[in-house]
Amino acid sequence: MTVLLNAVRPTRRRTAWLSVNLALVIFVVLYGVIAILQPNYLDAALFMNFLRRAAPLIILACGQLFVILSGGFDLSMGAVVTLVVLAASMLIGGDPDMTWTVIAILYAMGLAVGLANGLIVSFLKVPSIIATLGTMLLVNGLALAWSGGAPRGDLPDNFRNLGRLVLKDVPLVGSLPIAVVILVVVTLLAWWGLHATAYGKRLLAVGDNPRAAELAGVPVKPTRISAFVVSALSAVTAGILIGGFSGVSVNAGRGLELQAIAACVIGGAQLLGGRGTIVGALFGALSLFALFTLLNLLGLPQALRDSLQGLILIAAVGVTVLRYRRST
Amino acid sequence: MSPVLEMRSISKAFTAVKALDQVDFDCRAGEVHVICGENGAGKSTLMKVLGGSYRPDEGEIRLDGAPVRFQHPREARAAGISIVHQELSLLPFRSVAENIFTGMEPTRWGLLDRRQMDERARALLQRLGSSIPTGAQVADLSIAEQQLVEIAKAMLLDAKVLVMDEPTAALDDRDAHALLRLISRMKAEGVAIIYISHRMPEVMAIADRITVLKDGRLVWTRDRQDATVNAIVTAMVGRELQDFYPARAATEPGQSVLQIRGAGNRHLRDIDMVARAGEIVGIAGLEDSGKGALAQALFGDQPFTQGEVEIGGKPVVLHSPRQAIAAGVGYLPGDRKREGIVPRQSVRDNALLTLQAMAAVLSLPNAGVRSVAEADRNLRTMDVRAGDFGQEIATLSGGNQQKAIIARWLMQNPDLFVFVEPTRGIDVAAKAAIYETMRALANEGRAIVMISSDLPEIVGVSDRILVMHQGRIAGELPGGAEEGAVMQLALGVTGNAAEREMV
Repeated sequence: MTVLLNAVRPTRRRTAWLSVNLALVIFVVLYGVIAILQPNYLDAALFMNFLRRAAPLIILACGQLFVILSGGFDLSMGAVVTLVVLAASMLIGGDPDMTWTVIAILYAMGLAVGLANGLIVSFLKVPSIIATLGTMLLVNGLALAWSGGAPRGDLPDNFRNLGRLVLKDVPLVGSLPIAVVILVVVTLLAWWGLHATAYGKRLLAVGDNPRAAELAGVPVKPTRISAFVVSALSAVTAGILIGGFSGVSVNAGRGLELQAIAACVIGGAQLLGGRGTIVGALFGALSLFALFTLLNLLGLPQALRDSLQGLILIAAVGVTVLRYRRST
Repeated sequence: MSPVLEMRSISKAFTAVKALDQVDFDCRAGEVHVICGENGAGKSTLMKVLGGSYRPDEGEIRLDGAPVRFQHPREARAAGISIVHQELSLLPFRSVAENIFTGMEPTRWGLLDRRQMDERARALLQRLGSSIPTGAQVADLSIAEQQLVEIAKAMLLDAKVLVMDEPTAALDDRDAHALLRLISRMKAEGVAIIYISHRMPEVMAIADRITVLKDGRLVWTRDRQDATVNAIVTAMVGRELQDFYPARAATEPGQSVLQIRGAGNRHLRDIDMVARAGEIVGIAGLEDSGKGALAQALFGDQPFTQGEVEIGGKPVVLHSPRQAIAAGVGYLPGDRKREGIVPRQSVRDNALLTLQAMAAVLSLPNAGVRSVAEADRNLRTMDVRAGDFGQEIATLSGGNQQKAIIARWLMQNPDLFVFVEPTRGIDVAAKAAIYETMRALANEGRAIVMISSDLPEIVGVSDRILVMHQGRIAGELPGGAEEGAVMQLALGVTGNAAEREMV
């Protein structure tokens, strides 16, 4: 009996690691296949470029993770990205002097959307999947109406450089895109917020068992609201990068919220809260982006990409559920 | 006259717990047979066996002399057994008639026959002496009217046996009287009525026979004229005292830590109480007596709306758990799984949760290594048995989870500690450890308020016992008082609550 217990215990503890490792393993395998097809992907410069293009998804996944850990979903992220791209082009109107003011305004808009999501979920008790579906439609519609469906104005270079510029001859890494610097800063900030503060512990407790968290003194509503704010602000950041390297488009953010959720789940986050890590979300997003890259290299049509993403999402949720069931 | 319903040697076990042990029960046509017993005595289990929700491990049920075996509640209903549960099972947004006929709507050429439905519903309600319009929406009815609809639903099938599980618990006196008149009427029609209630005056008023259950066994069945309230209460509580309660404090309690004057809210009235440093105050009462509401009010979860509360001599406002914690209150919730643990976090994080909840929002999660060490020390003090405090708390036993939550509160060092059902569902060894912890906490100069449904625990652990009845404190008893005395206050048969009780 004791032997059995001892045999069982270490495997139980390993499951937490397994979830991170799973995403890491998927990423390494996919990137390995990419490197076989296109050996120059192993160059530092191309890897940096890969990271640069993956940066918005990773940043979105980090923000989405906050909401998922609190027990909800944020479907409005993609709409916020679209809003940011369109609003930036409309407000800046090609004037480089306006860039920093407009960026501040963009963050204020993100803050407003995040607060709206959080307040609706916390006070009206609307399930987050419905509440953020509503703000998604609302924000998308407003952004399109504002731009008239055909955005005028161009983004000045100093704005686009945030997503596009690559610093050359940097020691150690060679080339270094600004977007990767922003990515590292955002990921570290998210890691700090989630894994190195009392706030992160409260967030996990709220997602795990809100009633118990409340009775332990956790301010449940402010904690929930702040998760939506973090998510919206990360969407603004991702939107600025996307505007930088893809330019202005009314489809800029389409489907990104689902990719971010998929990334978190592949990274081992438990839907409906309480379990998940930034490292997991990071590798989940990298895996997903590596998959997209691979499909491009293989020349598969765009539509199949969505189907495969769906399959992977279902598989990842399935694995999480199975693992959870086994552990209880 | 031979009984309509006979249940012989019914046994039912859930894992290791015997919920029913060789219980005999019968009920005759035109008779009201009351079942009494404490929480957990087996009343509900017996009725669930009768209603087909549970299958008995042993024993036999006979209806009109013929043995029956119900695989599903539907079969029991079809055989003429109707149960009106404490929580009503009506569809709130459908009409009275639709509710009465749910699942057996009359049809005409395959279509719903509304006219027939309305007519039959009206006739049925008239027979029950009611004039509720059959088209009214159930959500608009009072609780008493809803109960009537529920009974009409039972009568539709010409129930031979009608079971009513604490039907008056949610009713005021006038409606309760009306219900009792209705029961007499059904009795006259020859229905066998099984009636579960805690309210002694109404038990004595309507019973023809009374059966007392205790710990899953039949104590006795008697005719009403052979039973007295005292005999019933004694039969309900009579049991051996276990001796694992720690010794009471030798010293006198110190200054008052908690003082409540004239407090109340929707569930509580006129609460005056004191808890002093070094004493354990037990709060007893039945399920709906307000003892749970008192605990929630003390912790700001369902705040008092009137009256004054002082903690440590200072007036405090307790409008949220956070305010209560800041005022120096600790709280061990009654439902460990739902309200206590955050299951997927580690044992250590569970112990640190309140510290984290009250810390500055962006401070280090464990306020540094010091508090991790303190959490581990508290977990060890509480003797939490875990391979590793980093493992998920859901993997621990109930007793160890409970100790980990106490460890959480030790980090806060509260002046007043509210324990709600501290030992519900945990094993005997862990129970004894928790009692010792409570006593130790009191001896260190804290005031302890213990809300419990477990009578031996109330009597064995408390220094003073406050007994609640219908939202008020019905009386106070010293520690070690007779269980029967506590029960009498809880039932409202003695003390100042008695005159308010209907007769």
